[in-house]
Amino acid sequence: MSIYQSAVKKPITTALIFIAVMLFGIFSFTRLSVDLFPEIETNAIMVLTAYPGASASDIENNVTKPLENTLNSVSDLKHITSKSRENISIITLEFEYGIDIDVATNDVRDKLDMVKSVLPDESENPIIFKFGSDDIPILLLSVTAKESTNGLYKILDDMVANPLARISGVGAVSISGAPVREINVYCDPYKLEAYGITVETISALIAQENRNTPGGTIDIGSNTYSLRVQKEFADANEMLNLVVGHYNGKTIYLKDIATVQDGLEERSQETFNNGEKGGMIVIQKQAGANSVNISKKVLEKLPEIQKALPSDVKLGIIVDTSDNILNTMDSLKETIIITFIVVMLVVFIFLGRWRATFIIILTIPISLLSALTYLLVTGNTLNIISLSSLSIAIGMVVDDAIVVLENVTTHIERGSRPKQAAVYATNEVAISVIASTLTMLAVFLPLTMIQGMSGILFRQLGWMVSIIMIVSTVGALTLTPMLCSQLLRLNPFQGRLHKLLFDPIDKGLGALDHAYGRLLGWAVHHRKVVMFMALAIFAGTMIFLFPIMKTEYFPTQDNSRIGITIKLPAGTRQDITRDLALELTEKFMKKYPEIKICNVTEGAADSDNTFASISDNGTNIISFNINLYKKTEREKGMLEIVEEMRNDLAEYPQIKTFQVSAGGRSGGVGGQNAVEVDIYGYDFATSDAVANELTERLKALDRVNEVTISRDEYTPEYQVDFDREKLALHDLNVGTASLALRNRINGSTASYYREDGEEYDIKVRFSPQFRQSVEDIENILIYNGRGEGIRIKDLGTVVETLTPPTIERKDRERVITVSCVVPNGMAMSDMVTLVKAELNKMEFPMGFTWQLGGTFEDQQDTFKDLITLMIMIILLVFIVMAAQFESLTYPFVIMFSIPFAIVGVVLGLVLTSTPMGVMAMIGLIMLMGIVVKNGIVLIDYTILCRERGMGILYAVVTAGKSRLRPVLMTTLTTVLGMIPLAVGGGEGAEMWQSMGMTVAWGLSVSTLITLVIVPVVYATFAGNGIQGARRKELKRARREARRSAAQLN
Amino acid sequence: MKAIFISYNQAYHEEILEIMSKNNIKGYTYWDVVRGRGSRGGEPHLGDHAWPTLNAAILSIVEEEKAEPFMQQLHQLDIKSEAMGLRAFAWSVEATV
Repeated sequence: MSIYQSAVKKPITTALIFIAVMLFGIFSFTRLSVDLFPEIETNAIMVLTAYPGASASDIENNVTKPLENTLNSVSDLKHITSKSRENISIITLEFEYGIDIDVATNDVRDKLDMVKSVLPDESENPIIFKFGSDDIPILLLSVTAKESTNGLYKILDDMVANPLARISGVGAVSISGAPVREINVYCDPYKLEAYGITVETISALIAQENRNTPGGTIDIGSNTYSLRVQKEFADANEMLNLVVGHYNGKTIYLKDIATVQDGLEERSQETFNNGEKGGMIVIQKQAGANSVNISKKVLEKLPEIQKALPSDVKLGIIVDTSDNILNTMDSLKETIIITFIVVMLVVFIFLGRWRATFIIILTIPISLLSALTYLLVTGNTLNIISLSSLSIAIGMVVDDAIVVLENVTTHIERGSRPKQAAVYATNEVAISVIASTLTMLAVFLPLTMIQGMSGILFRQLGWMVSIIMIVSTVGALTLTPMLCSQLLRLNPFQGRLHKLLFDPIDKGLGALDHAYGRLLGWAVHHRKVVMFMALAIFAGTMIFLFPIMKTEYFPTQDNSRIGITIKLPAGTRQDITRDLALELTEKFMKKYPEIKICNVTEGAADSDNTFASISDNGTNIISFNINLYKKTEREKGMLEIVEEMRNDLAEYPQIKTFQVSAGGRSGGVGGQNAVEVDIYGYDFATSDAVANELTERLKALDRVNEVTISRDEYTPEYQVDFDREKLALHDLNVGTASLALRNRINGSTASYYREDGEEYDIKVRFSPQFRQSVEDIENILIYNGRGEGIRIKDLGTVVETLTPPTIERKDRERVITVSCVVPNGMAMSDMVTLVKAELNKMEFPMGFTWQLGGTFEDQQDTFKDLITLMIMIILLVFIVMAAQFESLTYPFVIMFSIPFAIVGVVLGLVLTSTPMGVMAMIGLIMLMGIVVKNGIVLIDYTILCRERGMGILYAVVTAGKSRLRPVLMTTLTTVLGMIPLAVGGGEGAEMWQSMGMTVAWGLSVSTLITLVIVPVVYATFAGNGIQGARRKELKRARREARRSAAQLN
Repeated sequence: MKAIFISYNQAYHEEILEIMSKNNIKGYTYWDVVRGRGSRGGEPHLGDHAWPTLNAAILSIVEEEKAEPFMQQLHQLDIKSEAMGLRAFAWSVEATV
């Protein structure tokens, strides 16, 4: 018994099985977590090797080079980049996307073991460090406080950071902008000198005095007591009364030579929220945790935390990454619902019957929900890709059901009972339904095999659509016949309204059939004209439109976030940086009412703020985190604002470089495209000159407004150049002398002050007013073993120099990267052309080469992969069709619809001036499967007509007329199903617009042309075939005639 | 005794069984898939690409008096929806064992 027979015979079982499938789907839907993209595993490993005291070029030669040479042999390595700066070498290994990073890490570790012996003895062991998208903060909270500023760090640490860190899934919680408490002991060097006391003495003394010591146990009488000395400072001011020495019989207390300040650390990052000073709390998630869930949990916890805080401390949200994700998902869900309604209307208009429409529409939720079960089982999330696959599939899943239902209706009309009709009609079309699903699988299953970044993104799409197609086919072969047998009736009663509505539609469709029949009749009699016209259309598009089509990588998403990094000249004082930061904040807030929150941080970060310390920081660096109102709530687009901000920043001459990143500094897919030029070459000065020339040239072009050079400038610094002979003369060495210098300026951490279970540093150093000039440094006294004090100016000189910048290398060669952000409204391909033109105009010195990297390189790689994939898919589709028809000619004829799909795509992209990106490319790949379906339907029926004994031309026209409605219906459901994707304006819509556009345009144009060209090509081939057969027959007849004539003779 | 051979569109099967039971005809031989085409009019039932429908066939040996009404009712069924296709043939049975 066939599957459809059992389904019709057991309606209850069938219905319940599908209800179970739906229940599973609904269950999965409630359990699935939400994310923006499928999980992208980190593809970079950093190797950090410290070599204290070595200069940048020493590091490059002795550490970086040997490491690079060895690490280069790790498999799947894409690029190896390195930064060699003073004391440290940082090597970044970039792997192909989709590799197992743990295996790669092990490989790297093995290689490091091998190379360890070659490294200098003084260098430390290389450390492996993985940095991925998981390390990007998911939430930035702002803190404003009026009175509690001094104790802010402790308040935040105890009452905000700790409770938040306890939430499962939350990784690091760091506080920035709230300085840490520190006990400063400020010494007066003149008084020290007068009493012959050094900073080191004081430091050691404090360490000795600030002690709690257990003294063991003692038996007294019948008891045992423990003995303790408890002399840790209970108050910082206790230190003032420490005795530091005696001078001329008098006791000298610490208060005589120093002041003690229970204050804040001297250098720290400062944060301003909307111009108000406060702090920032950075929340990162644990690797693999879901950001939306964690954000939700954190936000739920916040009111509770807020209640416990002092009344003047207010928490706010600067960036909530989940906000954008949820909004994007909402707009996608909206799109899916609209698509569903559109498809339903199309089916209803064509069929004109509610019951039939219901039967067909029912396959949509069933197949979509089953795909959700797949997502849950495989541990995936609801994301842009998985949801847009649902949207794509809606228009396609109904096709199979339509074919089955149509045939069942025909049988019923012929007089069959619904039950029998359902079984036998399904039996007749089962093979072609399965075959058309196979062509779709031939397209979507290979998508699951793409490598690289796009592979991660589209694997899910491939699986989702494949599963949806399979389930919809199973549904069409079981559920649809079952429902047909239960619900369909011969000549159902039709109300007056129904007649009023559908009679004109029916007439219109009838007229269309007729007109199409006539067009086809004309076309098959003028085959050469038609073929020539088709060729002209194709060639015209390829010659005139294809070259002006623009390309890009991924579209930039308007996620309402802007990140700005501004660098002032190296060594700028923090006060000046702060003033500029505040000035800019005020300006931006006034000029752009779209800004919701403007958070700015400047200054050097302390080491315990993980997020801040891996991002750029320093007294000359300002970084903005700007949050705009929602996309739908403002008039100006994010990119426009970014553009204007760049122009604003360009007006400040004191700004050395700035970088305005649309979409925040989140990296990955959806940011603004940038073209990077890697200039390879050894010599520092020459490469600087080349990079500068290129930058100037690019900046001179209009519209280009952000060009940055990767290499930092030389940083000014003071060096104390000790003279070894003089040192030796005074029984000193560089170690002692430099340590003394450090203790006086940077301070020495004497001990820790404990309060409420927290430890704070006690730092001893010179008062700030005694370390403000070169003379102050020169006058520092250093004591030798004999107790003689010698000034630094007697031991060496203080000179002003410049430290060379970090040495950057890529693929084992020195490199300097000039990156140029593609301006709003310009496609990346245009920018690449411009940059290339400028590069060609420049004269490169000997030994210098350039290469385009960045987004352009990614785009090229991905496009190469996708084009290979497309060719493979076309071949697979051909194979499936050839198997179905058991012929090589018919699939070839049907393949004629593919070039016109490309024509449609090019036309659509050029007309709407949408660039061709990865998403559009995926749309094009999907088209390969979708467009041939129409051809299959047409050719299949034509063959059937021929087998029923019709002549070629008559068969072609009859088949065309009869198949027009099903072709139009399935095409319209797909095209109209794509339109909500293509024109959607919600948050995140940029991402899928081009894909929707590609499929809608490609399929419409291809269908219109296919309806004419495929029958015409078929007629030509079939005609040739018959002529060939006739010719053969004629020859055979002649031969026989000759033979019989010869016999007669 | 009359032998009645009915070749009909598969979809008729249940209806024919109903007619037989109404006429109290118990015995029959049934082929669920047979292929064939008629000599005058009607679509062939060949189960191939061009003519996908299939026939079934029943051979039933009935008493003389039952044969006539049975054939009549089959004819009624046929003219109700001629496009489906149903043919019945009757001939005399010479001997049975």
